[in-house]
Amino acid sequence: MVSQHGILYAVHLITNQFGNLVAKVCECLLRNGALTLQAIVRRTELSPAKVRNCLLVLIQHNCAQAFILEESVSGEDAGEPGKALTQYIALFVNILHRVRFSKFMDVVSKELGGSCGELFRGLLEHGRLTVKQIVDRAGANAKESTNTVQEDLGKLVMAHYVECCPAPEPLVPPPDADTKKRAKSSKVMVEPLTLEQRVMAVAMPSAMRRFSFVPNADQVADDQQNVNQPPSKDVGEKRKLHDLESDTALEEEVECNWRANFEELLRRLRHKTCVDTIKVRFDDAAATVLSAMLEASRAEEDKVKTANSVPLSLNTIYEEVVKNEKNHSMTFDHVRTCLEELSCPPTFVKTDDESYSIDFTKITEAAQSEEIESIVLKRFGETAYKIFRLLFRAGCLMETDKIADRIFAEKKETSKTLFKMWQDGYLLMEKLVVGGTTTGPSYGGSSYLLWKVNKRLLRETILDEMFHAALNLNLRLAHEIDQNKEVLNLPPDKREGPDKQKFDRLRNVRLLIHSSLMKLDDAIMLFHDF
Amino acid sequence: MGMWLRDIKRRSNLQDAIVNKSIISLQAKNMIKEVVNVKNKGKKHYMAVEFEPSTELTGGAWYDDDGNLHVEFINIVKKCCLQKIKQLKVATLETVLQLFKTSGVFKADLKEHHFEEILGALVLDNEVMEVKSNGMGEFGAIPEGKVCYKAFDKQRVGAAAEPRIGAMASMPCGVCPRIRSCTPDGVVSPSTCVYFQKWLEF
Repeated sequence: MVSQHGILYAVHLITNQFGNLVAKVCECLLRNGALTLQAIVRRTELSPAKVRNCLLVLIQHNCAQAFILEESVSGEDAGEPGKALTQYIALFVNILHRVRFSKFMDVVSKELGGSCGELFRGLLEHGRLTVKQIVDRAGANAKESTNTVQEDLGKLVMAHYVECCPAPEPLVPPPDADTKKRAKSSKVMVEPLTLEQRVMAVAMPSAMRRFSFVPNADQVADDQQNVNQPPSKDVGEKRKLHDLESDTALEEEVECNWRANFEELLRRLRHKTCVDTIKVRFDDAAATVLSAMLEASRAEEDKVKTANSVPLSLNTIYEEVVKNEKNHSMTFDHVRTCLEELSCPPTFVKTDDESYSIDFTKITEAAQSEEIESIVLKRFGETAYKIFRLLFRAGCLMETDKIADRIFAEKKETSKTLFKMWQDGYLLMEKLVVGGTTTGPSYGGSSYLLWKVNKRLLRETILDEMFHAALNLNLRLAHEIDQNKEVLNLPPDKREGPDKQKFDRLRNVRLLIHSSLMKLDDAIMLFHDF
Repeated sequence: MGMWLRDIKRRSNLQDAIVNKSIISLQAKNMIKEVVNVKNKGKKHYMAVEFEPSTELTGGAWYDDDGNLHVEFINIVKKCCLQKIKQLKVATLETVLQLFKTSGVFKADLKEHHFEEILGALVLDNEVMEVKSNGMGEFGAIPEGKVCYKAFDKQRVGAAAEPRIGAMASMPCGVCPRIRSCTPDGVVSPSTCVYFQKWLEF
């Protein structure tokens, strides 16, 4: 379930990029979940044609997905019993990714170079493209040859940064079939998948098809079409059938749309966050070793929120470390020492029989705790910081006096701070009445206030505040630009005196707000995606 | 534990004025004394001068005679403990206790639970880390699974001892007390926010 400010933020992003109409349809989907075309028309009061166009834009840019639910239709959209209707769902995660394009570009360009980066930029800008469209775009922009473009696209697909688009209208089975299957194989309680996750799981092509790119497939298709001209007397029926089959496969290949694979990019950003967290807590050497472990185990990772990396031996890790020229001076013993440090509590790296694996959950939780504590310290003060750390670590209810004793603070100040934090949703409070008669504590009983941090609820509160803050930054930037649009419209040589000062201030404001947005987005990823 | 003034009045069945006068007279003759209840300073407790009040009333080693938290003393003990842990790199509660017993630095009779409270406070201050020994590396001398304390290395650049300013905390909305009332077109909004105004003053 997306929070209130999450929806507002997503709608703002869509408004900025695609306009009010598309944003209206997107908001309708975000607030109401999956809807049919008729339901969207009814709720938005827009014409069916406009709604259809808005949906096409959202789907083109991977912000929405169509699907058919394989169960009987009921309610306001009831048609013939058992008739399957196409529904649409907004992809909140992909909408958030739209502010991360520069980070994604950075990842791709650093690894694969400028020309791949440029090709990738096109996919981000246009949402999804066929091979022909990619080639045409590259030809128009940088006069790249078809072969070079196809080579670059092949590199991107091989690195899993680009994938084949999901099926346009997959048939999604009811949730009962899914949960039963998973419950049988797993003895651990597993959170049920959301509708968005179920739809995307079904829509995604198989791993082979998803990352299978055949260069010059269109050329081959043309050649095949020439072969399939009225057959000569030497070609028998068998060959005709074979040609028809390969024609179909090639048509599918040629018609495949390609798009950025956000999953892989998110995984890279998660790795980057882990390395940065370790660098701050330890040193550059430890960060280098962790980075090498991530690189060595990358191929085995199958999802973004993996709890642990695959186990690696010390030799494997050392070989990966020294692959990078900058690390040639690192000795085997130095790498082992770093691993021992990382294995010390809190164990960011687990050891098991001479093999080492990264505990992503621990690193992510450490980074999240740091972020929350930083907010508490600045917002509520030092006493609140200590109270929060105490309750967070305790994980249970604690009485006011006991809290005051543990943090060495006066009871009055402690009470005041606890109430402030409770009012802002950072703590849970329970009242315990002990003794007294059944008619109330005033007849000799005493009441105690107990406090607790509910980690899950707190993360949701913080995430909602982050969305709110991100929205505010965007709105403030728009306000500043609006207030100074006259100065912006002046030609550079006409900006003098107060106008120049205003212009310089606006430039600094833009830089500050943009960098704050990027930093805040890292924090949003930490709480929402990692 | 002494006796609360209200309880004295109730049990003696005497008028308030008489009880108050008697209390003053007994105090003047040095037969009873007033003891501050740290848990509730409004409740006056009295006891015979020969008795020592229990720590439940006085608060123990961390409170002065007036029932106030002895902040200076607590900070001194914390500082000393932190220095010892930094010297040792990793220390258990027993090690710290032993060091202070042999050195005799503090005149006050500090027991094991006092040092446990101090070490707990250092953890909450983010000066030390509470960890469980894994018997390897710097924990080699400590049995596996034993709780020990490790100081953060302030020499390292960006070490965790100083709480880092996170993304949210570095912008006005992250620490705003009015964020819940803030809406795009409301009285409190990003366009009219005074905190934003200050933040964007160059």
